[in-house]
Amino acid sequence: MPPSLLIILVLILSSLAYWQGRRRALTLARQPAAGKMHSRPGYYGMLTALWCGLPALLIVAVWQVAADPVLTQMAMKGVTAAKGALSPDQVNLLINDIRNLVGGNLVAREVDPVLQAAADQYLGLKRLSNLALATVALTTALVAAYLVLARIRPTLRARNQVERAIEVILTLCSTFAVFITIGIVLSVLFESIRFFQQIPFFDFLFGLKWSPQMAIRADQAGSSGSFGAVPVLTGTFLISGIAMAIAVPFGLMSAIYLSEYAGPKFRATVKPLLEILAGVPTVVYGFFAALVVAPFIRDLGTWAGLPVASESALAAGLVMGIMIIPFVSSLSDDVINAVPQSLRDGSYGLGATKSETIKLVILPAALPGIVGSILLAVSRAIGETMIVVMAAGLAANLTLNPLQAVTTVTVQIVTLLVGDQEFDSPKTLAAFALGMLLFVVTLVLNVIALYVVRKYREEYE
Amino acid sequence: MQKIALTLAAASLLVASAASTQAADGRDYISIVGSSTVYPFSTAVAEQFGKTTKFKTPKIESTGTGGGLKLFCAGAGVDSPDIANASRQIKKAEVETCAKNGVTQIVEVKVGYDGIVLANSKKVGQMKLSRKDIFLALAKEVPSPEGGDKLVANPYKTWKDVNAQLPAEKIEVLGPPPTSGTRDAFVEMVMDEGCAAFEPIKALKKTDEKKFKAVCQTVREDGAYIEAGENDNLIVQKLEANPKSLGIFGFSFLDQNADKIQGSMIDGQAPDFKSIADGKYPVSRPLFIYVKKAHVGQIPGIAEYLAEFTSDRAWGEDGYLAEKGLIPMPKDERKTVAADAKALNVIVNNKF
Amino acid sequence: MRETQKISTMERVNVGLAKRYRRERRFRLFGLAAIAASLLFLVLLLGSIVAKGYTAFRQTEILLDIHLDPTVLDVNNLATANYAALVRDAVLALFPQVEGRQDKRVLGKLVSTGAAYQLQDMVMSKPELIGATKSVWVLADDEVDMFVKGHIPRDVPESERRVNDQEVAWIDQLTASGRLQLKFNTTFFQAGDSREPELAGIRGAVMGSLFTLVVTLALSFPIGVAAAVYLEEFAPKNRWTDLIEVNINNLAAIPSIVFGLLGLAVFLNFMNLPRSASLVGGLVLTLMTLPTIIIASRASLKSVPPSIREAALGVGASKMQTISHHVLPLALPGMMTGAIIGMARALGETAPLLMIGMVAFIVDIPHGFSDPATVLPVQIYLWADSPERAFVERTSAAIMVLLLLLLAMNAAAVLLRNKFERRW
Repeated sequence: MPPSLLIILVLILSSLAYWQGRRRALTLARQPAAGKMHSRPGYYGMLTALWCGLPALLIVAVWQVAADPVLTQMAMKGVTAAKGALSPDQVNLLINDIRNLVGGNLVAREVDPVLQAAADQYLGLKRLSNLALATVALTTALVAAYLVLARIRPTLRARNQVERAIEVILTLCSTFAVFITIGIVLSVLFESIRFFQQIPFFDFLFGLKWSPQMAIRADQAGSSGSFGAVPVLTGTFLISGIAMAIAVPFGLMSAIYLSEYAGPKFRATVKPLLEILAGVPTVVYGFFAALVVAPFIRDLGTWAGLPVASESALAAGLVMGIMIIPFVSSLSDDVINAVPQSLRDGSYGLGATKSETIKLVILPAALPGIVGSILLAVSRAIGETMIVVMAAGLAANLTLNPLQAVTTVTVQIVTLLVGDQEFDSPKTLAAFALGMLLFVVTLVLNVIALYVVRKYREEYE
Repeated sequence: MQKIALTLAAASLLVASAASTQAADGRDYISIVGSSTVYPFSTAVAEQFGKTTKFKTPKIESTGTGGGLKLFCAGAGVDSPDIANASRQIKKAEVETCAKNGVTQIVEVKVGYDGIVLANSKKVGQMKLSRKDIFLALAKEVPSPEGGDKLVANPYKTWKDVNAQLPAEKIEVLGPPPTSGTRDAFVEMVMDEGCAAFEPIKALKKTDEKKFKAVCQTVREDGAYIEAGENDNLIVQKLEANPKSLGIFGFSFLDQNADKIQGSMIDGQAPDFKSIADGKYPVSRPLFIYVKKAHVGQIPGIAEYLAEFTSDRAWGEDGYLAEKGLIPMPKDERKTVAADAKALNVIVNNKF
Repeated sequence: MRETQKISTMERVNVGLAKRYRRERRFRLFGLAAIAASLLFLVLLLGSIVAKGYTAFRQTEILLDIHLDPTVLDVNNLATANYAALVRDAVLALFPQVEGRQDKRVLGKLVSTGAAYQLQDMVMSKPELIGATKSVWVLADDEVDMFVKGHIPRDVPESERRVNDQEVAWIDQLTASGRLQLKFNTTFFQAGDSREPELAGIRGAVMGSLFTLVVTLALSFPIGVAAAVYLEEFAPKNRWTDLIEVNINNLAAIPSIVFGLLGLAVFLNFMNLPRSASLVGGLVLTLMTLPTIIIASRASLKSVPPSIREAALGVGASKMQTISHHVLPLALPGMMTGAIIGMARALGETAPLLMIGMVAFIVDIPHGFSDPATVLPVQIYLWADSPERAFVERTSAAIMVLLLLLLAMNAAAVLLRNKFERRW
């Protein structure tokens, strides 16, 4: 039978086991000689169900993963006997063909009888294997259930065992989350180390030329292959700087108005609207930047007589700033609201106007939180990809002029990795090195931001 | 309690079903990678193929000729691409790499001609360039302006510096990166020819070919030549936005956007259908697709895809590929190539 | 003399008061102006997208009287019959005065190449129609469509237009005779990607997005909730758990492209999973959404007041029972809100999926988790690069669909939050 049916069967058996275990527990409970049951009846049922189901499901999972290669090997024996020694790639292709035959997919040409025989053999073996699996799994389930049922007695601490099992599952899930970070660090680090074996570290960090498009063949003449990251980093910081120059004033003033001046109805309508700005996908912002903002700025430049590149840093930075406004606004809003009312009252009591209170009392009190939120916003701006891919340039220009085209770290990562992906050329590895750089910078910013926010928050508790 | 059990059960069911669907079926669609110039033609044929036959529509990725051939030659297994599109002929080194990795039977199919144009926005005047001008404008090292044999770093900043008859605009050219076949074809047909106009460099060709290539084909990196990625459409859009710059791409893109951009004259010839087909326009090159013979018959549909590509309905003078800007080969050549493709004749190594 | 020079406190205050009130008003106005400007940006963004995209929902169609010639349509071989010829004949029949091969070809191009497929579907589903003459509305070519919608202006010289004067005359003739109309664009919602703009639709991308999100939800919600429960309730409060908390907070703020790099290195390079499949996309997005769900779940678990827990413990429940019977059900609305918001963010992600190859040209609608697929934001990114003018309006229309989906998801989250969340 197909594996999905088997799994459903195991689950049904588990449910039956649950019912049986529970019933047995209830029966035992009614016998006054046995004494009080340790746990509620459901736990006995659960214990039976877990013992019935988990080993069986584990067997099914392992069998599924391990069976296929073994079966394919056995089926291919016949083919190799007929066709002689084959290279691994030819074997690969024949297996694919067999799989297609088995799956009933369209096959390319007249079916080779040897392959058809192999496919039939595979099918036969698979049927046998499925039968074996079903027998083993179901037997295990039944035997385990029976054993546990036999052991049900009042002194059996069912609840403890069940809870421990669940705790194990929970622990596994949370370690998975930790493994993600380790995975990121290791994978990016591994490739970056390979990169730094080819390009010296200080050349990368402090070099002033970025032209990674090296020749990909021996007889080709390409760029010099310089991997100095400074122009790329400058571009990133330029665009992020422009973005923050827009986001901080607008975001902060909006937060101040919403928390101090606005009435509850105004707040209730405007806050969700600002959240919409945060919810728009960045590819939409990129499209908007490339199609509307960049030509507008270019036209403005031509009218003012200034030379504006068609992909000015200003256009990308402007749109990125708009995207970040809600970040700064909502984070600052939370921080400003957290300032105790007593401070405000004290200030009003001395006769200060609202704006004076805000400027002289509340903002200084909330400053660490606001700084933290600005740092988080900066980290978001640095890591932003789609807006700059669509609206910023590709040439690594070392300039601080916002009217010129610059490129950023994220754009270079995308450019280097879409397409040619040979994992030992410096070009591909450079993308991982840039990714490492990005990860480290955003990590440092986030850690500082969280530390600052946490440390200074306690002063008012 | 029951809820948790049920949730866990449901989750395991889902994961198990997902895992099982993945292991079972083989790949039944054609996987194509390669040139961004051939991409529009390849996708048009793929769509037609998918709609008129019972086979699945091929999956096509635009990676650039170099990147595509690299993936093609990386192995012969089922997870490697079946067909590579190329806007230049495969090089001997690539054939050797392929052989080393087990790809020994490659079928070469020439699908048509394409011209490489140096285009700019219609908002400004058409440029009239010679190949020598282009070399002087784009090379990393040029013969010293004072004369003599010495090579210096390229000092020219505007087109007028290169040739007094050209406008006094800053040199800004957007072109493809080294992974692109268009770039390979461009440096061979324009830069090589342009620098051979200088006697001392031409002499170098006979004495030190490697140095000759290095001098002629290395492009400047000081910002006048901008590598704009594999996406030719993007270059077209940037030209529209920035009338002062020029772009290098295939004729098909010029043809499809003829209302916005115009091709510069090179050595007195303007790029159009006729001049490229006749061979009068100096920068025209053939387009190819390379097929792994070992995959034909293993992955369903490859032979039929080739049949569609080589049918007159597709690549003929009135075919839908000509609509997209492909310049068809002469009738006799089409017949020969179609027959070769049907017979799956492989590249012979002594061809190089 | 002294008295006249002595100014009272109140007067001193009153001198500066007007200035202070002015400053107060200015400050308040700045705040209001900032909000107004932000909302203006939003309106500008949405407005320009809608302005560019609303025309995509209607499509130009031409009414042709097609004679289903039995000599061309061989009943036994309907799949390979030359439907294009039948369509072309029908178009030529409308303009009998046109001569010359070149002119006839241009005339034939008024109708989309998809018309042949449309006819093919019609005939293959109802072979009894062969021999009759049917009036069919077929799609017009994308340039005709652009012209009719006004995106190609009439008044520029011919060389700057994609539609020449002769074609304009024909289009006017067809409109006048009622054979050319703008109809609702069903192709956009039913078709997959295509090289021809008039045949391109978002169905493939939407199905791809659906499969990817299902994988993401199925994996990230259980694991995220389980991890949050463990970290919040069971983990001992020491340096390690502090580190883990900082770790997860950082993961939530890492740029999404780094997850793409991880997916590339591990799933594609190491585990050799199929490129461009929704399964791999879902796995990468799971990695990205997991921290968000963990943080949201922890917050909602934290918000359940200790009195509830203590009450449960007081009547003799174990820790696990407290959590499963008392805390979890109360925290569930918050968790689900967090999950929906996480999904909404995953729906709009593009960068990590570019890295794992979901950026190929894929025409067929995906039917399973391992079929090659693309997602809606990536489709938008791909269309944004295409040169045909008709793709600009389709990209904007696809953006509108994406935004609507996101709005629906966020509204569902807010509704859920308002209805079920209890404020203690």
